[in-house]
Amino acid sequence: MKKLPEQVKRLAAVFVIFLSSVLLIRAYAVPAALKDTDIHRRTAVERETARRPVYAGYTACRDCHDDVFTSRKKGYHRNLSCETCHGPGQKHADDPEATKPIVPRERSFCPVCHTYDPSRPTGFPQVNPSTHNPLKPCITCHNPHNPEPPEAPHECSACHGEIAGMKGLSSHALLDCTVCHTTPEGHKLTPRAVMPSKPEDREFCGRCHRKGAEEKDAPKVDLATHGEKYLCWQCHYPHLPEGMK
Amino acid sequence: MNPEFLHKLAELVPQVEGFIYPNEIEIHWSILIVLYPYLTGLVAGAFILASLVKVFTVKEVQPVYRLSLLTALAFLLIAPLPLLLHLGNPLRSYEIFLTPNLSSAMAMFGFVYAWYLMVVLLLEIWFDYRKDLITWANESKFPMNFVYRILSLFSKDLTDEAIAFDKKAIRVITIIGIPSAFLLHGYVGFIFGSVKANPWWSSVLIPVVFLFSAIVSGIAMVLLLYMIITPLRGKPLDMPCLDRIASFLFYAVIVDFTLEGLDFIHRLYESEESIKILSKLVMNKLFVSLVIIQVLLGMLVPLFSMAAAKAFRFNEELRKLSYFVAAILIQLGIFATRWNIVVGGQLFSKSFLGLTAYKMEVMGLEGLLVGIAVLIMPFCVLAVLLKLMSPWKTAEEHAAGG
Repeated sequence: MKKLPEQVKRLAAVFVIFLSSVLLIRAYAVPAALKDTDIHRRTAVERETARRPVYAGYTACRDCHDDVFTSRKKGYHRNLSCETCHGPGQKHADDPEATKPIVPRERSFCPVCHTYDPSRPTGFPQVNPSTHNPLKPCITCHNPHNPEPPEAPHECSACHGEIAGMKGLSSHALLDCTVCHTTPEGHKLTPRAVMPSKPEDREFCGRCHRKGAEEKDAPKVDLATHGEKYLCWQCHYPHLPEGMK
Repeated sequence: MNPEFLHKLAELVPQVEGFIYPNEIEIHWSILIVLYPYLTGLVAGAFILASLVKVFTVKEVQPVYRLSLLTALAFLLIAPLPLLLHLGNPLRSYEIFLTPNLSSAMAMFGFVYAWYLMVVLLLEIWFDYRKDLITWANESKFPMNFVYRILSLFSKDLTDEAIAFDKKAIRVITIIGIPSAFLLHGYVGFIFGSVKANPWWSSVLIPVVFLFSAIVSGIAMVLLLYMIITPLRGKPLDMPCLDRIASFLFYAVIVDFTLEGLDFIHRLYESEESIKILSKLVMNKLFVSLVIIQVLLGMLVPLFSMAAAKAFRFNEELRKLSYFVAAILIQLGIFATRWNIVVGGQLFSKSFLGLTAYKMEVMGLEGLLVGIAVLIMPFCVLAVLLKLMSPWKTAEEHAAGG
């Protein structure tokens, strides 16, 4: 066999020293926990499970407060845990007299979930806190354990603020929502279960916009030829007809 | 709520347009993370230029062979620094090499970096310099002779067989080195391209685009360094070498431009739900850095400048000027590319409904001054390397010898 060149031996020596020192350091100086490649390091899981729980869970609350539990179960807040509003309750469950849970009575608490925000789902009760009965604590009118509004909202804008704002700027500003939508009373209390009606055909818009209609200010079109087979709202957004789709 | 936090939030809120999620208001990957792919790209590009000499035997580029290797090394040594500064805890940086994790793309950095530095770049430089290191060790006085002796690993063999072995080794290493350089920068692109949740990054083309922009920036950087250092040494510029590098640069820019164009058209044609917010991002927040600096100044102007030098047969002085301007603009353009990818990817909300802004600090660990310092550092390392291991001697001997 041909002899290895001198420089290769030297390089090999350097690599051997380097690699063996890496392996030695890894074997003896790196703590075992750092070599763990599971998604959650074992020591981290152990550390977390060793902590004392601070939340008691709703069943612990139910044991003493079954009246509140029953009324909450029927209301809109049925999917919230007691500790969502009242904070971690393990200490209170262990010794009810010594520690009391938080009771958020101040007005700033409810808007955390109920301030108007366009990204919240339609139908979710949202208000503008600076105009909605300013300075009154929410709990004077709403029972947080069963927060049904004391009376149904009078205006559609209470929930559909964005649409109302847009319509207010459009040429349909003076039309009431009920001109186009028939809204059953039940919609105000269970908005998703009882839906308002929506116009279904071209003739509906034609009541004001067809040639010869009585409404003077509305732009007129010939329904037979304008837009062919398309429905009006495929091109015109009824809450802001000026903005073409 | 913590009043200090509220105060900070109040400062940030006016820079938000539309709706964004709360954790998107502040940009976390700052200027330092922009610098990381920029510096790594220069490494890969400079190495590819060096490999032209050894693998593809492009003789004209020989004068910049060693300069390219040392440039690659200088930038590679500094490349992890912005990451370390960004992460904090620099004393724990070695842990990425000691505790590898095969399931984490980011932890693969340990393998990629160690392979490229130890097995490719250092080995190639060592084999190339071994003969010179032994000669310098014999010629210099204490303490430099000792330094050279250590650098040569106390090797003494100057026989023809040993030198022939060096040459063969360099060729083999360069052949391994080209895919390794592709791996190094392709890997950096992969880190961004594999973020599924971010439509600005998530694209299989990103690693390839990164790679070609790396080649462009590396070649331009070596061209720039050669054009600055040679007159400082009082030597004439080797025009055939410059012309050849410039023509490689020209073709690399064309490929890079085509790939980026393809990526752009692909996104437009796919028109996924993110397309509206992305076009808003490009037309508002990134208009200057993407359309003006990256595409117009960083690609089209250099392309025209180099094409004009070819087409109209400029004289030497005008060619030098056109190459120099092109190389500077390309550096600017590639830096803007990194900026647009790293910062741009964080400027829009993942809800696709809003945009935020990035305001760079001046002082502070993630600030402008630290960024500039990190950018200057590879040049300082390069200056030391050039002083210690002069790349010129053999290059000029080579030129003199024919």
